[in-house]
Amino acid sequence: MSSARTLKWVGLILLAVIALVFFSLATGPAGKGWGMNHEWFWLRFPRVVAALAAGFALGIGGATQQGLFRNPLADPGLTGVFGGSLLGIATLLAINDSWVWEHSWSLPASAFVGAILTSLVLVLLNHKNSTNRLILIGLGLNAFTAAGTLIIATRFSASRDILISGMTGDWLGMATLELIFLPTILCGIAALLLLTQARPLDKLSLGEEMAQSLGVNLYSTRYASILLTALAAAAATCLVGQVAFIGLLAPHFARALVGPRHALVMPLSGLLGGGLLLLADTLGRSLWPQAPLSAAAMTAVLGAPAFVWIASRQND
Amino acid sequence: MTDRVLYCRDLSLQRGTQRILEAVNIAIHASEAVALVGANGAGKTSLLKCLLGLFPEAGGEIVLGDSDPRTTSPATLSAHHAYAAQSPHSVWDYTVEELSHLSPCAEGYLRWLERFALTPKLNRKLSSLSGGERKAAHLCLSLSALQNPRGRALLLDEPTASLDICRNEILAAVIHELSQQGAAILVATHDLTFAQQCQRVIILKAGRVIADGPPAKTLSPDTIRDVWGFASTSA
Repeated sequence: MSSARTLKWVGLILLAVIALVFFSLATGPAGKGWGMNHEWFWLRFPRVVAALAAGFALGIGGATQQGLFRNPLADPGLTGVFGGSLLGIATLLAINDSWVWEHSWSLPASAFVGAILTSLVLVLLNHKNSTNRLILIGLGLNAFTAAGTLIIATRFSASRDILISGMTGDWLGMATLELIFLPTILCGIAALLLLTQARPLDKLSLGEEMAQSLGVNLYSTRYASILLTALAAAAATCLVGQVAFIGLLAPHFARALVGPRHALVMPLSGLLGGGLLLLADTLGRSLWPQAPLSAAAMTAVLGAPAFVWIASRQND
Repeated sequence: MTDRVLYCRDLSLQRGTQRILEAVNIAIHASEAVALVGANGAGKTSLLKCLLGLFPEAGGEIVLGDSDPRTTSPATLSAHHAYAAQSPHSVWDYTVEELSHLSPCAEGYLRWLERFALTPKLNRKLSSLSGGERKAAHLCLSLSALQNPRGRALLLDEPTASLDICRNEILAAVIHELSQQGAAILVATHDLTFAQQCQRVIILKAGRVIADGPPAKTLSPDTIRDVWGFASTSA
């Protein structure tokens, strides 16, 4: 892929995302406009920032998981890492819900613990790197974590609404500058640190033995990628709730545009992930203002057929 | 030949209940090209991987360069060797040119491509190449990791499989040149004609070394019959 063509695509997508940001800031339930009382800033700006940050982290996280598992179907949503994050949050709410409001770090921390535990189970059970096995384990983990979250939501009525809306990826509507501050910073840190794994992930595409003979430390690459992807997924969960397919689709689009090199795929996946999530959220709240759809529902409309298409092209 | 680059003593490997390698003793020196032959399942690939430290559970003494590859960091170790796997494969569909980004020396990789007549295919996706061309591109990537051959080890696993006659001859010439430049080369192969061009042949049978010496001595009709169960016409 020539660098001129790569630059052209990055530039075009960046322009499209910037245009989308302005469109999203100027679009509210009452139609187009910036609002009489600076609604664009107080109501929509945190939501836009949260969608961009979560999508950016998820795009890069998805590209990392696909590179790490050498599997184009890997995605933090499909592999159950999102479910683990939400179960972590649900567990915290069940143990002591006042902590969430008293300590801003407790929400991302509990999500991170849930995400990392799910990731470790995934790695331990999928040591043979099989596509079928990855998807089946992901299905199992998703079912398990969803069941755990539902049980907590049922048993602890005070947390029910917030957990149900988290499971349907509907937390963007609650975004305030105060609430999104820490998770947004964490999304940025996780995403930037993940970019350092681009070169080892490239070599890993040749298989573990070849990667090792080319100087890749498998343990540090594997654990850095898992930890940082878990952090990205956890921080994104705190902003959006559970949302699938962003981490799956963004790397696929990026690879189609700039080729498979992770140094290009990862940042472009971040950009595309941010753009896709913002587009989904903007469409969800502007197409049907009286009954807005969650960002997760909108991404599923686009993502589910794409997932089926990608899965049908896999040889396993 | 005093510069020992690759060495193992009493090397053994057990996987599950199966004994893969048993009391293997070999040494490869600088400026030496050695062929490793044996029937399917004799343990050739496992031996190469043990020598690279890819099986940390292997027993016995192993030295690559001046360290034990099982306990040395891959980054340090990669400066001492290059390795080409038996069935190279990339999960993502790189172009031949993009593969250069995976090499420690992109210019070296491009030079090897030229040597193996792959420069006209620079912009082709790996998936669109023939099996032999794809194998040759991966070989170029492995060879490019050997930036300074002197005192470095080159381990090739079935490098001639699926290469055409022309690229086979190029590879034989490359191995000869690299050994002249001081590399210690170990080639696992089923191609006995290719093995005969090496200075030394090691024969593995059921995980044990049963012969180690010049081709004329090791590849005798009796040994061939013993290992493969037939009398060779080429050896």
